[in-house]
Order: sequence, then structure tokens, then C-alpha cells
Amino acid sequence: MSTAPDELLKAAHAAAAQAKAHGADEAKVVVSRSRGVDLEWRDGRLERVQERTRRSLSVEIFVDGRYSASSTNDLRPEALEAFFADAVAMTRLLEPDPHRCLPDPAAYAGRADVDLDLVDAGYGDVTSAERRQVVEALEALVREADAALPIVSVSTEVSDTWSQSARVHTNGFEGAREGTSFVLGAMVTVKDADGRRPMGWDYTVRRHRGDLDTPARVAKTAAERARAQLGAGKLPTGRYPIVLVNRAVPRLLGAFLGPLNGPALQQKQSLWDGRLGEAIASPLMTIYDEPHRVRGLGSALWDGDGFATHRRPLIEAGVLKTFFIDHYYGLKMGVAPTGGDTHNLAWTLGNRDLDGLVADVGEGVLIDRFLGGNSNGTSGEFSFGCAGRVIRGGQLAEPVAEVNLAGNLDGIWKQLVAVGNDPDPNSGAACPSVVLAGVQLSGQ
Amino acid sequence: MTDHLTDGLAYFGRFGVTEELLRAAFDRAMSTGADWAELFFQHRITHHLGLEDGAVNRAYGSVTLGVGVRVIKGDQTGYAYTEELTRQAVCDAAATAAVIANEAAGRGPSSFEIKRLPERYPVQRPWPGVGVAEKMPILSRLNELAFARSPDIVKVRVGFADADGAVLVVDSDGRMSFDRQPMAQMTLSCTAERGSQRESCSANLAGREGFEFFTDTRVQKLAGDAVDRTLFLFDATVAPAGAMPVVLAAGSSGILLHEAIGHGMEADFNRKGISVYSDKLGQPIANPDVTIVDDGTEVGARGAINVDDEGVEGQRTVLVEQGVLRTYMHDRISAKHYGVEPTGNGRRESFRSPPLPRMRSTYMLPGRHDPAEIIQSVKRGVYASSFTNGQVMIGAGDFTFYIKTGYLIEDGKLTRPIKDTNIIGNGPECLRKTDMVGTDFEFDDGGWTCGKDGQSVPVSLGMPTVRVAEITVGGVNQ
Repeated sequence: MSTAPDELLKAAHAAAAQAKAHGADEAKVVVSRSRGVDLEWRDGRLERVQERTRRSLSVEIFVDGRYSASSTNDLRPEALEAFFADAVAMTRLLEPDPHRCLPDPAAYAGRADVDLDLVDAGYGDVTSAERRQVVEALEALVREADAALPIVSVSTEVSDTWSQSARVHTNGFEGAREGTSFVLGAMVTVKDADGRRPMGWDYTVRRHRGDLDTPARVAKTAAERARAQLGAGKLPTGRYPIVLVNRAVPRLLGAFLGPLNGPALQQKQSLWDGRLGEAIASPLMTIYDEPHRVRGLGSALWDGDGFATHRRPLIEAGVLKTFFIDHYYGLKMGVAPTGGDTHNLAWTLGNRDLDGLVADVGEGVLIDRFLGGNSNGTSGEFSFGCAGRVIRGGQLAEPVAEVNLAGNLDGIWKQLVAVGNDPDPNSGAACPSVVLAGVQLSGQ
Repeated sequence: MTDHLTDGLAYFGRFGVTEELLRAAFDRAMSTGADWAELFFQHRITHHLGLEDGAVNRAYGSVTLGVGVRVIKGDQTGYAYTEELTRQAVCDAAATAAVIANEAAGRGPSSFEIKRLPERYPVQRPWPGVGVAEKMPILSRLNELAFARSPDIVKVRVGFADADGAVLVVDSDGRMSFDRQPMAQMTLSCTAERGSQRESCSANLAGREGFEFFTDTRVQKLAGDAVDRTLFLFDATVAPAGAMPVVLAAGSSGILLHEAIGHGMEADFNRKGISVYSDKLGQPIANPDVTIVDDGTEVGARGAINVDDEGVEGQRTVLVEQGVLRTYMHDRISAKHYGVEPTGNGRRESFRSPPLPRMRSTYMLPGRHDPAEIIQSVKRGVYASSFTNGQVMIGAGDFTFYIKTGYLIEDGKLTRPIKDTNIIGNGPECLRKTDMVGTDFEFDDGGWTCGKDGQSVPVSLGMPTVRVAEITVGGVNQ
């Protein structure tokens, strides 16, 4: 990998020294910068061109047993002097917190020696003319994908980003990382007979440009999703088996995993408190955190504490295997830290594709998108708006909208009866489509 | 007119911004024949203090500085920003944004004129003069009030946030606006225990004010709201599922307007033809009792603005008048497209993004029904008291909002407490079915934040008690 991050590492060390010079006992510093370009094309014309160039310095300060965190993008030397002086002075005024300290440097050991391949070396080669060509061609592909679609507007976009950051802790941690990401997307708004204007969309996101789905596939998917929403009706309220499409799964999974974090547990706001080792989902659910996935959207060799990341089970055959506890909340709760973040998820997959799951369900509802809603991580209730298609005779039938899915997080994943073989490549969570046996859907 | 470039250039002058820099940047921005260009300078300092487990032992601060350069050609936008305010960096950003146009060179303005702005957030104690030591006792007091209010409370967290923003908007017509934008917010989150059952809830208050915002009355109200809402949850269950009448309490149920109609009336969606309200101007879209306003002039409100983020004065805009759709919310681009005056709705999260038509304080004016009469009119339905969040699909018009607390209505009376239930409906249909409007208007002072295209802006809400004759309640049938 390129050595360009050295410059940032130097800046991070300098900032850490500056924090100490202003009186900090210890400090954690992250220096980062990024560049990016977005192009949005709509109905035959360029709608928006945007360039982004960012930089920032953030510092966590430990002084006299007290703690604060600050960030700035005003990196002029005189501004930085004032920034550190203010940050240290502010920290001194707080009440002490015995649990705020840097980890034992021994805990930084064990960093995996893997090339995550997060940088597309050709990042800088993309010209603005090429970007423009891509979005223009994508619009044409959408319009060709379904010539009979009652299109109101087609908008397409490309976006690419390069970013780099360096982390330094004053007790010996240092690390630099670099990554690129590329996005290609299409949205098509259609006019329904009743005046509603539903939108179908698709996008693809990857670390390397060459890994993106083809424009033809993005166009086809967006057009299909728009068509599938035409003539949407309401669903009779009831309990139904559902097929939850892969890209919609993170909403329900995120609500489920959210209360596993340290702050929720420590503040007694987690329904999973005391449930480690218990079966909280169907035996079909096995999910690992996989931080070292090559070209993974969420890949990282270390976390915010400087701890080396490892592949680890979250749920194994339905049994809860870990909480997400960082260094600070570990000390506060008197338990060993387990790492406060998840990275990429890896499910144990089934052997049916989406069509196969739909065929197996026979009669039910396919949910392919969520709309709003929320969940209560303390007592477990959740209620999410959603939409999709009726499943009849093992086939997708009429579209339904204004549907709501509700239940309790404690139990909803015990309804899991089938896992698909189609992990979503556009998300670090890489969720497959799943089947839940019986859930409450509201409609008319 | 150099003498009159007063506050704005004086403020940003410390970062190297001069009239000469402005001229040079505009020459670059207009160099490809653009219709119009704009520089949006921003400096913003935020502080956050946190109390957890009885101690104010964490502080967070941020400094943000930069300029966004926007170049417009027709409906097309070129945008670039820089976080370095040197002449070279600003001119480079201007040249980048100018690629959107490709015609003969134009020229920038020859002089600048500062605009006089109204004063919608007069501040007595500006944030730069308020130190941590003055703020800490307020967090501790909230903590004490919460524990004192109920022996069931086992955990309390308090957040105290303030911001001092400065923006300088200059455009190629020579208009210049400078605004200082304060923000104050506090949040209280509680966990309570009864036997093995736990419940948690939070409440917050926000306004464009200085330190004077944190009066003891407000502090006590916040403690009461957060604790009472938490305890309420012990006896509450999820609502039943299905379509039924819903009565929305006065105040934060303005979230219904924000989602069901507000976003769909932002003119960019209509200009593109992708809103469910496209082609509906001048048409009746609601009951004649319904009048909806989006207002930047509400003094001290979180959604108040003296000037929007493209130099147009904040104003009061009647969106729906007695049921008829009167106007969309416009930024400069959409206003030009429709041949109307901009409505002061061009807002952005920061200098890193171009402005979009956005809401400010959105509310429904009071109607003619006694709130008690509205509840009595419902045989079986849901009464929604407090809300946490909402969302909308602009084109289809489907929207949701999440009820945190409320009651079942049975035979015209509030009966069983309910909680954690999402409501889903369709905007135009819901407006048509909003058939009773109460006399009891209430403006909500919560810390609402609206998201659009990845940009967050502060907004406010307000509402009288209303009845929606039928809408889908996302509960669970036992």
C-alpha cells in the first residue's frame, strides 16, 4: 500500500505533542482528509457537480482525571494554539471520571497483518468527462430498460471519494488508513394512474471502481422497482409470513443489535442485559463480525480504542455471544472490553435465492423497503412502516404500500425460518434475504 | 461602499477574507458565463456537556470554518468548497464550481451592499462569553430534579448543547448578508425500574437563544416531561393494529404536517415533477378548516431565521389557506423556475452543501373545534400525545410518524395508555381526512432536526388538536 499516510501520521504526532504541551496528561488524536466528486444528472442535463475536499483534526484529552473530545478544521497554526488551550482549559473545569484513561499499551498488540485492499489505485484517473458520460449513459439505460414505464423523471449519479486518516495515542498507539469508495445510482419516478409518483431506485457501492455492478444492471433494477410499485394498494391487517429482502434486513437487524452496546447496557436501557449465552434468535441465525474482509465497506484493522480487530461471533445458532463494550464502558461496568463497534457482518447463508424463498413461502408478503418507525431498546417494542408485494401461489403478486410491521425485538428473530443465499454486496452488513414465519402487519 | 461592509467582513476578516478576495473569487466563479454565483462563508463553534451517573464529566467541542462556492446556470448547479480561506484556495474552489457553465466570460460585482436583517433571535447572553463552570450547575440540577421526582428513576443522563454560528452570504449581484445564529438545546434521558420491568424515555427543549434560554421554569418542565413520560410507559402497551381514527394532541404532532405535506411542498421536488403535490397549486387539497404555514419569523424558535442560506430574508409563508394549496417553499433556483419571488426557504446544513428548499417552523393554525369535543367524537381510535420521529416518500406521498406515548380512545374517552406505535399514511389522503381542527394551538419547543439529501437543519413544529378520520395504526393485535 502507498506510504502517503506518513504525512498525516506526522501531523497526528505533532498534534498529540501539542496537546501535551498545553497540559494534557494523555491524548488520542485523529487527523483525516478526504476528496470527492459527485455528479447528478437529470432528464438529459447535468443537474449538479460537486467537489468536496475535507480535512479535520480531532483530539480526546485526558487531564487531571478528566476527559473531553474536540474537533476542528481550522488548521492555521495560530488557530490550533487557541484550540488546544481552550480544550485543555475546558477539560480541567469538569468533574473527574475515574474510568477515563488510555488502554494499557499491551492491548494495542496483535494487529492483523492483512492487506485489506481498500484503495483503488486508479482513483485519480477518473476524468470529469468520463463521469459525465457514465451518468448520461445510465439515464438512457433506465429509459431503455422498460420503454412502457410512465416516467416523470430519471436522475442518475456517480460519486467517488478518497479518504485517509491517522490515529495516534500518546501512550504508543499509531495507525494510518486509506480508502476509496465509488457509487453509481439511478432513481426513476413514475406517474401512477391515481396521481401518486412512486420512485424506483438502485445503487451500487464498492471500494474499487471495477467491482461496481454494471450500469445496465443498476438501470434494469431501478426500472423494475418503479414498475413494481405501480397500482399499489393496501394490505388487510393481519399476521403473515414475510420474505424480507436483503437490502431491507439491516433495519430490523440494526434495531435488534443496537441495545447490545455498552452505553445502553450500563444505563439499563437494554433488553439484552443479562442475556449473554441465551438463545435470542432462531437456530438459523449465525452472524459474525468480519473486520478483515478484503475490499469490505466496513473493514478496519483497529477500532476507536486502538484495539486490534478480530473475527468474532455475534449470534451463533441463535445464541447471543457478545456485547459491544468499549474500553471506557468496560471499566465502568467492571467487565473486559469486547470492542465497541461492528464492522462487516457475515451471515451463515442458506441455499435458496430470493425467488426460491418466495416460492417456499407460498402465501404471504414480501417486504422490500422500510419507511420510518422506531424501536424501544429498553423494553423491545418496535414499529416500522414498510411496503412490498403480496406473495400468492409462490409468486410475487400485486404491490402493497402503507403497511406497518410491529412486534417485539425479543422474539422477532425467533420467527426466522429460512435464510437466503444472496448477501447484499452494497452493504458492509451483507445481509441475505430472510423469511419470518408470522409477523403483525397493519394495513386497512 | 466599503464603509458599509461592516460586521460580516470584520468577522471573517480575521480569517483573511477581504473585499479584494471576494472580487477575485467572483471573477473566477463568473468566468464561464454563469447566470449567478454565491459565496457562503461559515464559522461555527459548538459545545456539548454531558452528565452521566451524577457527574458532569464529559465535554465535546467543535470548530467548523469554510466557504462554499455555488455557480448557477439555469437549473444547473456547480458547487465546491474549501476549508482554507486563502485567496488561492477560494479562487480554486470558484473555478471548480464554474465548470457547470461553458460560455463567454462574465464578470463579478463591482461593489457590495450589506443587507439590513430583522432580529428574530435577540440574545442576552451570547455563547462565546459563557464558560463551562456556568453551565455545569444546570445539568446537575436536572439530574437532581429527575431523581427527586420519582423513586423509580435509576439512571439519568443530561446533554447540554450550544452553538454560535456566523454566516456571510455574498452573491454576484453584490448583495451581502451577515448573520449570527445561536442555538441552545438540552436533553434529559431517564431509566426507571419497577420490579423486573425497566422503561426509558427522554425529552428535550431547544431554541435560538443564548444562555438565558435555560430558565429554571424550562429546566423544571424538562425534568417533569422526561420523568413523567418514562413512568407513563410502565402501564402502556402497544396500540392495536389497523385503520382507525387518530386524534393528535396539540404541539409536537406538527410532525404530521412536516412529513405528510411539508416535504412534498418543497419546490425542488415539484420543479422536477417528482412530488405527489406537483401540479396541485391553486387546488383544494384539504378541508377548509386547514391552514398551514411555514414560518421563519417566530422569535427565538429553533426554526427561526433572519436570513436563509442564500441571502433571502426569512419570512412567513402560507402554504395551504383554508384547504387550498397556495405556494410551494422556494429557494432561488426554484423561484426562478416558477417565476416567483423566493420564499426564504433556501437552507443548508453547512458550507459543504448547496442550499435546498427546506422547512423552518411548520404549523397549522387553530380551528373551531373544542379539543374535548374532538376526543368525544371518536368511538374507537388512538390519541397520540408525544412523538419521536417521522419520514416520507416524496413521490408516493406515503409517510410515517412514531408515537412515543398516547391513549386508546373508547366511546369518546381516553382509556388504556399506549406507547411505541408507528402511524403510516398517505399525505394527500391524510390531509383530506383531517376533518376536525381544535382551538388549542400549541407551538412545540423540542429540538427537531430535519434531514434531506443527507443535510440536517433545525426546524420547529406546531399544531392544534386535530382528528384524522382514518389512518393506519401500526400496532399489534393480541
